[in-house]
Amino acid sequence: MRRLGWLKSWEGLLLVILIVIIVFNASSTPHYLQVQNQINLFQLHIEKIIVALIMTFIIINAEIDLSVASVMGLAGCVMAYLFERGLPFGVCLLAGLLTGVLAGAVNGFMVSYVGLTSLIVTLAGSIGYRGLAHVLLENRSIGNFPEWFDRLGQQPLIGPFPLALIVFFVLLIIALIILQRSAAGRYVFVIGNSSDVARYSGVNVRRVKMILFIVSGSVAAFAGLLLAARLGSMRGDTALGAELEVITMVVLGGVSIFGGTGSMFGVLLSILIILNLRNGMGLLNITGEIQTGVIGILLILSVLGPNIGRWVTEAWNRHRRVQHMHDREKGG
Amino acid sequence: MFKKIMTMLVVLAVLLLAACCPPAATEEPTGEPAQPTKPATEEPAALSGEVVEATPGQALDMVFLPKNLGNAVFDEAHEGALEAALELENPQELQYLAPASRAAGTEQIPIITNATTQGVDAIMISNNAGDQIAPAAQAARDAGIAVVTWDSPIPSAEGEQVFIAQVDFDETGEVMADMALNILGEDGGKFAVLSASPDAANQNAWIAAMEEVLEEDKYANLELLDIVYGNDQSEESYQQALALVDKYPDMELIMAPTTVGIAAASKAMQNEGLCEEVKVSGLGLPSEMASFVKNGCAPEFALWSFEDLGYLTYYVSYLLATGDLQGVESEQFAAGRMGTYTIEKDPTRDEGLRVLMGPFTKYNAGNIDAAVNP
Repeated sequence: MRRLGWLKSWEGLLLVILIVIIVFNASSTPHYLQVQNQINLFQLHIEKIIVALIMTFIIINAEIDLSVASVMGLAGCVMAYLFERGLPFGVCLLAGLLTGVLAGAVNGFMVSYVGLTSLIVTLAGSIGYRGLAHVLLENRSIGNFPEWFDRLGQQPLIGPFPLALIVFFVLLIIALIILQRSAAGRYVFVIGNSSDVARYSGVNVRRVKMILFIVSGSVAAFAGLLLAARLGSMRGDTALGAELEVITMVVLGGVSIFGGTGSMFGVLLSILIILNLRNGMGLLNITGEIQTGVIGILLILSVLGPNIGRWVTEAWNRHRRVQHMHDREKGG
Repeated sequence: MFKKIMTMLVVLAVLLLAACCPPAATEEPTGEPAQPTKPATEEPAALSGEVVEATPGQALDMVFLPKNLGNAVFDEAHEGALEAALELENPQELQYLAPASRAAGTEQIPIITNATTQGVDAIMISNNAGDQIAPAAQAARDAGIAVVTWDSPIPSAEGEQVFIAQVDFDETGEVMADMALNILGEDGGKFAVLSASPDAANQNAWIAAMEEVLEEDKYANLELLDIVYGNDQSEESYQQALALVDKYPDMELIMAPTTVGIAAASKAMQNEGLCEEVKVSGLGLPSEMASFVKNGCAPEFALWSFEDLGYLTYYVSYLLATGDLQGVESEQFAAGRMGTYTIEKDPTRDEGLRVLMGPFTKYNAGNIDAAVNP
């Protein structure tokens, strides 16, 4: 019984929700279990779930990175812009990635060394980087990338799995090991709980935050390039608004928005819930406002859930205490 | 902690297994109405000059996919498509699917991909994602689904069989310039454009066409001051219209080639009591514009019928999905009450075919009542 104790935790609840959704999907539409649909389910949102992995670190660290979607867009636009000017494609890809490293470094520097709030820094970043993407591409769309690049984004690489999906699972395992099995992961939690305690314990808080933001920018840029390959062309508004979906995934996964607590397992479950929910609704022809609304309700419940759970437990305990006293009175 | 990780890996393994080895049954046909037999072996009617007629009563799953929800013109197009569905006696219900009203254009991609998974017979798209829609549309084509665009095409034409063009884009420019001249009189005057978003392909093409037409001597007295964008949001368009008035005191006309923009600008001029000084024109919906025509804020505007556009789109998609139309140049077909049309090369794009619907209707005090209450 004790072994299954964690099932009563947030992750346990998410797992139950996930299983309910999967069973419902599988029984309501025959298309759900098809291989291609299971691949599409990930592939349609693959860039966002990759970014959600690093966002988990950032939020546990009690920071936030609102600029990820703009960095995705900017990295793709820089790549497309240079490609249009005839630079070798490898150079364009590298420049796209470096854009992310640089954007992340700017965010990290402002937060760690200048001491500004990450909410403000990355909000400004999201506006600035998006603006730059629009300046580069204006109203145009740039495509016709080399065929191998489009193929990598749109076709399976190994068996039925496209590159981006493989990348996601590899990064997931790396993120899992770093966050939950390494010293670096413990620093992330300790800083998230209290950066003062961390500092007095000899943790180099600034360096950890700096590294996290640089990695966040780099992963976002990489995701932006994957997105460019999947869509086959770039526009200035590509990935607009994706940061909110990424943060939704992380928060629904049980990561406290105030930092310090959370797990990769919870985030994975939350990702699977959102993807399966979207896919199931899509296959049942539920789109538009209703689909968005259901995801929104899920998020509200995820914020309320732990509180409601606590109230219920407290109410139950009170009830039992009263019952107990009542019984004793009767007996006496 | 270790147990959690192990459990997680087990869940992952199960999911991967599920993805790799689905029950055999799901691979088989899914017991939905049988696909209509496609007479693909028959020679295309294109060269013989024969007019293709639809055979009613075929069971076809068809998806009608506008840019987003909450825009009246798409509801009208939907009405037209439903009318055609009834006429063609398609027993399958038409699916009207769209991203949320403020969603990014790329939100159309999951809808197309899911429709492909469902194995529908035809998808009718008003494209809101430029060429980024092309890979998903191409995947649908590869799965044997008829893909038709309407209202807004795929720029590269990749993944699209034919585009149902509402009007000739060049004609739009001329119609707008003519209305401006008509409202401002022979002496002309200064005017500004209130458009949708800077990325809106249709509006950009129409404005470009109008700028070209303005070069002609006939329009020499018209001066275009500025182009601003209200992003097809009522409030934003309203603010932009008022900002134009502040910025250009000698402006006499706002030309809005978008139904949201023209209604918002008319409302702004009406509420601020500016209708005597600044008129509004452009492309609008009769039902939304009737009161502004009558009180003189928007004396004249133009539009094509979105209902007809939906109707024609449904006919073409039905014919392509049954295989009666091949989707090649110079094929002719009959589209119910709208008569005979021909598939032609699209002169506005490098690649791609189109069916040109046309023409424009200009609305003013003389015919607005008839248009609103037929």
